[in-house]
Amino acid sequence: MELPLTSLNNGESGVISSTDPSLERIPMCKHKTRRHHWGKRSMTACFIKRLSDLGLTPGTKITVVKSAPFNGPLEVNVRGSRLAIGRGMASRILVDVER
Amino acid sequence: MSRNHYTIALAGNANVGKSVIFNQLTGLHQHIGNWPGKTVEKAEGTLHVKDYTIDIIDLPGIYSLSTYSIEELVSREYIATEKPDLVINVADASLLERNLFFTLQLLELETPLLVALNQVDLAEKKGISIDYEKAEKILGVPVVPTVAISGKGVYQMLETAIDVIEKKRKMKPLKPRYGKEIEERIDDLTLLLSKTELKYPARWVAIKLLDEDTEVEKEVHKVNPDIVAVAERLRAELEELHGHSCPTVVTSERYQVASRIAKEIQEITAPLKTPMRDKLHAVTTHKIYGYPIMLATVITVFVAIFSFGDFTSGVLGDVFFGLKPAFDSVLGTGIVGELVWGGVMEGIIGGVTIALPYILPFYFILYLFEDSGYLSRIAFLMDNLMHKMGLHGKAFIPVMLSFGCNVPGCLGCRIMETTRERLLTAFVVTLVPCAATSVIILGLVGKFVGIEWALALYIINLIIIFVLGRIAFKALPGEPTELIMEMSDYRVPHLKTVAKQTWFRLREFIVMAFPLIIVGSVVIKIAEVANLLEPIANISSPITVAWLGLPVITGISLIFGAIRKELTLIMLGTLFGTTNFAAVMTSAQMIVFTLVVMLYIPCIATIGALVKEFGWKKALTITIIEIAFALLVGGITYRLLMI
Repeated sequence: MELPLTSLNNGESGVISSTDPSLERIPMCKHKTRRHHWGKRSMTACFIKRLSDLGLTPGTKITVVKSAPFNGPLEVNVRGSRLAIGRGMASRILVDVER
Repeated sequence: MSRNHYTIALAGNANVGKSVIFNQLTGLHQHIGNWPGKTVEKAEGTLHVKDYTIDIIDLPGIYSLSTYSIEELVSREYIATEKPDLVINVADASLLERNLFFTLQLLELETPLLVALNQVDLAEKKGISIDYEKAEKILGVPVVPTVAISGKGVYQMLETAIDVIEKKRKMKPLKPRYGKEIEERIDDLTLLLSKTELKYPARWVAIKLLDEDTEVEKEVHKVNPDIVAVAERLRAELEELHGHSCPTVVTSERYQVASRIAKEIQEITAPLKTPMRDKLHAVTTHKIYGYPIMLATVITVFVAIFSFGDFTSGVLGDVFFGLKPAFDSVLGTGIVGELVWGGVMEGIIGGVTIALPYILPFYFILYLFEDSGYLSRIAFLMDNLMHKMGLHGKAFIPVMLSFGCNVPGCLGCRIMETTRERLLTAFVVTLVPCAATSVIILGLVGKFVGIEWALALYIINLIIIFVLGRIAFKALPGEPTELIMEMSDYRVPHLKTVAKQTWFRLREFIVMAFPLIIVGSVVIKIAEVANLLEPIANISSPITVAWLGLPVITGISLIFGAIRKELTLIMLGTLFGTTNFAAVMTSAQMIVFTLVVMLYIPCIATIGALVKEFGWKKALTITIIEIAFALLVGGITYRLLMI
């Protein structure tokens, strides 16, 4: 079934199905000059870009190692590397899990 | 003897040992500055080997060549426009897939390339064996295994590099191929682009247009807006076909290529027992053990630095002031002597007694932590707390630095990704009580009112930081970002690299702060000699006396505090003619005074750092807000304490 990454248990793995659940403004950008405004679309695009550049692309296996206490970030394993991802961002990553 | 002059750029992910290789190659011939107009560090060095002179540029550590961060932009612009003779891609052999993803992008930029597979020792420990010849064959560029820390393979890498530059090796660099649907569209765009003049290779631009790269789009728009329109249509088609946004599809397919290559050239036999570094990681990020370990570490560091600083600072001060008689005998005790000693020399002394005893060890330990990997674990643990003040985990580092001195704190804001985050962090940082402020808190309130009051002031300060940080977070336009960070494997730090980073940071501090401190000291000394201080104190008495309930002369000491905060206390002693402050000030006055000093102004060096990082306007805004706020809080506290 499809779940947000934050719903996975520690040690559980899934396959990323989407990093783009909605087109709400998810910001990852950045140092734009005042002249140049990011539209809704590219704001999201930019967030997804960052994730995919780090290897979180649809179809990739991802393992949640643990999450930091007090609603802290998630530690995940992707393509052999260990990443920390803020909880808000992680909740927007959808994964297919076999349960 | 003819010397051949070449330029080599080092590029690669963060945490792959790139700067260690840079240090191995260039030794002491280094220059660290900023990229023109950017707050991105530029490290250059020169290497003399045989009859070659080679300039080495250490590009920032990045994961991609998109436009996510200024660092990425700077790197690709450098490679495309400056056209170095060779780019050495330093890649982590133990993390091939993601590192190859970056290698593929360098190949797409069509720059002469050499891949240095670094940390092969770590890869071996992880049970990864790599077929270098096969890697070379697939990538079509030389692949050299290295262990930067011990220098292994670095010389071979250099020899190979020279061979490549002098075209002694035949190379057929790989052209990463995407899926059929994407390739067709890349070809369409490349054909259109081949008729235009651009600084980047046509195929790369085509890929970047499909990647929805706004910077490239802008460039292309300038020469031929029609192509941008075509790209938009092609992107829509691809999105229709794949069901994901076009950049995701492109990146995803590039990763597939990287993954395929990685599988072909490496064989993994996972070690049976958990290695030490993984155990260390587990325990230092543990939900229960992680925090006490972090707390103990941070407190140990602080206690060590402050006791070392206090001692060294005292010794240095004594040594310097021991010079005064010699000074007086040369310059006399007249006006010149007073200006030179009281202005210039005391400025220098003030700077030195802060820089060497406090800032130097601070930076050293910081870089030790960073290089070992512990800093990212602290960021991981502190992320949630930092969120409460509108920042994220990484901001903990500049904030921690600021307890030593606000200047490195401000400069440290560079680790934040966006301008907004940088500004927010800097604002919070300037509110943190630095070592000098701590001296006042402890030396005035702690000593004469009671240590519990000193503690209370710290707590009030922290509350203020949270509240103001929160307000600034809401008030500042733009969107918040979240933590996304790699926690690379723990490793033994490379001392030489750490020492060098410490030295460069220290130098940056000296170059920036010293002139400001000295000029400030001279200006105030002149005002003092010209008997201007008292009139100024009288003018400011409506604020100091009527609003804050302080003695008139505190106005003078508050002005001195703008140069260096610890001067407020020293001046207070001088002006009152006694250091037994309990005899001349009430407890309430001491508390209000300290509170104002804590908050009222980032000192002149901090303002300088703010100007350097953010420009005059923002630096002034922060300064004015903080002065106004300090006076507000001071006045209210005075009235509360009078009840």
